Amino acid sequence: MTFRRIASAFAPKTTVHAHCDLPCGVYDPEQARIEAESCYRIVEKYAANEDPAYRTRAIGIKEHRADLVKHHIDVLWHDYFKPEHLETVPNLHDLFWQATKQASKVKASNDLADAKRLLELIDEVDAAWKATGGPAKTRVAGRPG
Amino acid sequence: MLPDIEPGDWLLVDPTTRSWPRPGSVVVFREPDSGMLAIKRVRARSGERVPFNGGYIALRPDEAWLQADASVAMAQGAGFGPPIDSDRFGPVPVELLIGRVWFRYGPLHRIGRIRRAPG
Repeated sequence: MTFRRIASAFAPKTTVHAHCDLPCGVYDPEQARIEAESCYRIVEKYAANEDPAYRTRAIGIKEHRADLVKHHIDVLWHDYFKPEHLETVPNLHDLFWQATKQASKVKASNDLADAKRLLELIDEVDAAWKATGGPAKTRVAGRPG
Repeated sequence: MLPDIEPGDWLLVDPTTRSWPRPGSVVVFREPDSGMLAIKRVRARSGERVPFNGGYIALRPDEAWLQADASVAMAQGAGFGPPIDSDRFGPVPVELLIGRVWFRYGPLHRIGRIRRAPG
C-alpha cells in the first residue's frame, strides 16, 4: 500500500500519444458495389467500341476501379467484421476471399459474366453486413433509402 | 513506438531542448493538426531531403521530419490505420517541440536510457 502511494507520487502527470489512425467506423458495401458497377459498365462499353485508343483507356479505368473494389472489400473484412460475426455469417471468410479474388479476375477480364459475378458476391457481402446490424451500427443515419 | 516505447512507460523528457535533436532521437511534440501531445522519432532535420509521395521534400531551417517506429503493416496488424506522423502532417516546426525523451523510469524492469536509433 505504502509502495503504491510512493509510486503514484512519482507517476507521470502527462500522457503523450504514439497514436495511429483510428478507424472512423463508417462502413458500407455500397462503396464497393458502385465501383463494381463501374467495372460492369466499362466492360459493356469496351465491347461496344472498336476504337483501340478508347479500349485502352477503358481497360485502364476498369483496372483502377477493380482495385478500389478490392480496397473497399478489404476494409470491410479487416475493420468492420469481427470474430463474433462468424456466428451469424459462418461462411464470412470464404465469402470475402471469393469476392476479392473475383475483383482481381474482373481487373484482368473483359467478360461481362465476371463483372456480374462480382456484383452478386458484393450483394452477398451486403447481406452479411445487414445481418450483423451494419446499417444501424456503421452509418450515421442508416443507409439512405 | 513499440518495441522501444510501450504503452504505460514512464518517461523523462528534457524540456530545455531548443532545437531538434539528432535523427534517431525520440521527442515529444504537439501535433500540427490536433495540438495533441505526441511521441515520435526524428528521422531528418533542417536542410535534409526526405522522400515523400513519390518525390522529395527539402526541410526548411528548424523543421524536422518525425516518424513512428511502426510500419503501416505493423499498425494495421494491431488494429489501427497507418501511423499518424510526418507522412500525414508533413514537416514539424521547432515551435511545436516539447522536449527530447531521454530516460524511462518505469516500469521497474524496463528502467534505462532511451537511446537513439541507428541512422
